[in-house]
Amino acid sequence: MNKKKGMGLLARQQAAGWAFLTPATLLIFVMSFWPMVRAFIISFQTGSAANLKWAEPVTKNYQRMLQDKMFQTAMGNTFLYLVIQVPIMLVLAILLAQLLNNKDLKFRGLFRTMIFLPCATALVSYAIIFKSLFATQGLINSALVGIGILKENYNFLGNPASAKAVIIIALLWRWTGYNMVFFLSGLQNIEYSVYEAAKIDGANAWKTFWNITVPLLKPVIVMTGIMSINGTLQLFDESVNLTNGGPANTTITMSHYIYNNSLGQGVANFGYASALSFIVFILVAVLAAINLKVGDTRD
Amino acid sequence: MTEAPRKTNVSHIQLRLIPSYIFLIIVSLISVFPLYWMLTAATNTTVEVARGKIWFGTNLLVNYQNLIKQQDLWRAMGNSFLYSTVQTVVCLFVCSLAGYGFELYHDKHKDRLFSILLLAMMVPQVATLIPLFMMVSKMKLLNTVWAFILPSISTPFMIMMFRQNSRNFPVDVLEAARIDGESELRIFFNMYFPIMKSTYAAAAVITFMNSWNAYMWPRVVMKDNSAQTMPMLIANLSNGYAVDYGMMMLGVLFCSLPTIIIFFVLQKQFAEGITGSVK
Amino acid sequence: MNKKILALVLACMMTLVACFAMAETLTVTAWDPNFNIPALEAAAADYKAEHPDFELVINTVSGSSDVELAMTTAGSSGDYSTLPDIVLFQDHYIQRYVADYPDAWQNLEGAAINWDDFGAEKLSYSTINGTHYGVPVDNGTAIFAYRVDILEQCGYTLADVTGITWDRFIEIGEDVWAKTGKYLLSMDGSGNDLPYMMLQAEGLSQFKDGEPFIVENEAMVQIISKLVEMIQKNILFLSNDWTGYTDGSIMGDQVAGVMNGNWIIPTISQVADNSGKWEITTLPTLTGAEGYAANGGSSLYITANCKNPDLAKDFLAKTFGGSTKTYDAALRDGGVITCCISAGQSDVYKEGVPFFNGQPIYSDIVEMGSHVPIVEQNDYHYTCRQYIGAAIQEILMGSDVATALQNAESQLRFAMDL
Repeated sequence: MNKKKGMGLLARQQAAGWAFLTPATLLIFVMSFWPMVRAFIISFQTGSAANLKWAEPVTKNYQRMLQDKMFQTAMGNTFLYLVIQVPIMLVLAILLAQLLNNKDLKFRGLFRTMIFLPCATALVSYAIIFKSLFATQGLINSALVGIGILKENYNFLGNPASAKAVIIIALLWRWTGYNMVFFLSGLQNIEYSVYEAAKIDGANAWKTFWNITVPLLKPVIVMTGIMSINGTLQLFDESVNLTNGGPANTTITMSHYIYNNSLGQGVANFGYASALSFIVFILVAVLAAINLKVGDTRD
Repeated sequence: MTEAPRKTNVSHIQLRLIPSYIFLIIVSLISVFPLYWMLTAATNTTVEVARGKIWFGTNLLVNYQNLIKQQDLWRAMGNSFLYSTVQTVVCLFVCSLAGYGFELYHDKHKDRLFSILLLAMMVPQVATLIPLFMMVSKMKLLNTVWAFILPSISTPFMIMMFRQNSRNFPVDVLEAARIDGESELRIFFNMYFPIMKSTYAAAAVITFMNSWNAYMWPRVVMKDNSAQTMPMLIANLSNGYAVDYGMMMLGVLFCSLPTIIIFFVLQKQFAEGITGSVK
Repeated sequence: MNKKILALVLACMMTLVACFAMAETLTVTAWDPNFNIPALEAAAADYKAEHPDFELVINTVSGSSDVELAMTTAGSSGDYSTLPDIVLFQDHYIQRYVADYPDAWQNLEGAAINWDDFGAEKLSYSTINGTHYGVPVDNGTAIFAYRVDILEQCGYTLADVTGITWDRFIEIGEDVWAKTGKYLLSMDGSGNDLPYMMLQAEGLSQFKDGEPFIVENEAMVQIISKLVEMIQKNILFLSNDWTGYTDGSIMGDQVAGVMNGNWIIPTISQVADNSGKWEITTLPTLTGAEGYAANGGSSLYITANCKNPDLAKDFLAKTFGGSTKTYDAALRDGGVITCCISAGQSDVYKEGVPFFNGQPIYSDIVEMGSHVPIVEQNDYHYTCRQYIGAAIQEILMGSDVATALQNAESQLRFAMDL
């Protein structure tokens, strides 16, 4: 009797557990996985959106991709942003978090708030702000000419190299504070006594940081790393609003190019756009997996 | 006697921290400057903005009048506020329920399901835009708050955040409540909810910001003028034949204020909530 | 009892009124609050004078791309119920959208419009397989506006820059730059309007028989070389984007000449200090004949979702179909210039414009519009322009003309899946 009742209770708990996660799970399946399946099917089709037909041969869109110079440019740009921006941002974020975690530091709350503030601005807004600041007649130019670093106003957004640099600077500005908050929280979970012990052992600041802080922060580094890689590979708003992919498509990102192929330029090639976005999906998944693996093996 | 050495000690520490202060001040200034510039630009005329004036002007009222003449500012603010609030409430409820379920009832199957759900983080938004639109439009939900919120009610990131934070939820409280005969749902509402307040605060800040700033999806599903959101309104301002910078920056300011205010108000709980999620 | 009946009657009447009001209401989507929205308001007022119950609900979006987005999403989901009754649509895209989403539109057969009264080039966009789908709103006829005071300062008159070759234009441009430090022309580097207009003035297109016509196109090669030469000699200012073009070069008073669709006039007119100093003329060409071209422009189309197409047709026919009242008000409030030839002969159109030194520019533009040659159109119009623009950038960075254009052509062929 007693046993039976216990089983019933356990079963009921089990049922409750499943019930709690059902709405969220269903929504993710319907709103993320199912559209992805649809997109996968569409990636084997061609024609206008109202009249999609199976491609001949079915892998045509994927074969096409190999000859697509523009997509290769877009992929190159996206990886450039990834390779330069993500490491700088994460290192800067850890450094800032480390500085702000010092209990002797005054105005910690104020610094933290100020550094976090950029990520409260809308993507559309901050793209507009940076575009105006870096315009040929904009404030940055006036300042640099005023100090004497530049002889004459420089067209930052009109030259491929400097336009890419502006995008990277904008990304650093927007996201460093956001990541810093995660690191700061991670640091606060580390007991102060661990540091005290290290001090007694005579470890210097650099050694302490490298041998104690970084390993303890590893889960946070992996998490922010995955989030940043994912965000950068799907970079869209900055490319659209800051440079519109220009000059001459030298700053365009993968997502922006996909958007142009599906909804951007009046030429709705959904089949091809879906095929392209699958490649992005695979890239993100592979990089995230590598990130997780690297995070594991350092243990 | 005891006062003096401590003072020297403190000032000694502070002296050592000078490089840190300098670095932090520089980073803070760089972080805040573009926002400060936005603030001053909103009070200047378009010519003054173009000439690089970085002090406050007297054109605020004119900019405001131009803005409300050209765009329905307060309707867009109201819309953005409504959509973001609804999305935050629904998202927090659904995701915290799931995070609670995944952590406190966890077993092999649920852990596996969770790692499958994490895959959704990697689904590119551009890929799902069209299929999602087809779905929402078939449900006859275009231009409604539901179209706005449906794709982002349940996000892997939020579920993960609640799942991580739930590790701090004392299991003995749960056991005790069960022995008292409380139903599982009541435990969630009466125990979990109050204990996890700071997690909710952090999640609310992030969700509200994301939904307030959303642009691509609303542009596709909120076709009607009366359903316009703030980021859409700003995009309208920057797309005319001739751009009025002062007016545009005032729009940008209006769009940024609510998220900044919410962050300020919930700052402390936000930090605590994030701390729990990275344990 | 009586009260109940009264209530019932009242309710019925209200429903009727509501139905009636619904029937007299049309919705329309358009995008520029300083340009085509005032034109639509003018038309609504015009029509309302005869039909007091009529109501036009205008839905403003941020740009023509939003209208295209709405059509694409509606078309791809097969659900047109979200569309307004009428949309304003860009001319260069409409053929593609009618071909891709044939069910999304209602044609204008049976509308009381005298089509012969419109410029043939303009109608060539909105006529598909001989069937009319759109009513033209604004006129995209290209103008070349010059600062005559600056020309005079350098020893030239408007006649000296009318009907000239591009080589002669370059000579004058060098002179103007040397004497005044002003560019004689500017272009939006991301939109690349100029190559297309220059080519149309030669009677040619970027496409031939549905395929890109770039490398083999002698005129195109020459035009690109001339443009690069102009940029290098400080005759042509190349901006990064549209804002740099309008705000920077035109409103920033850096140029002595502007060549674009006439909808650029309100931008030129923003600089009040230069009132009376501008005049307009035709475009230079490679041969020295007077050049005519068109850029931009849009028309109104009835969508499949319009429940009362007769009302929509009647509204369009009695306003943009040729009403002087509509067009005069549209010109006055929004600077929208008609492509309707008879409407372009009204007194309002014939008036001299003080900003343009008393020149009756509006009737001049309508007249110029009747000379614009019809050239081959293609769905990939803007894609092509984008690649031509990229080619210009490549040449400026050191590539040679032939290679850059070959790249542009092969990329375009790729995009077109040829």
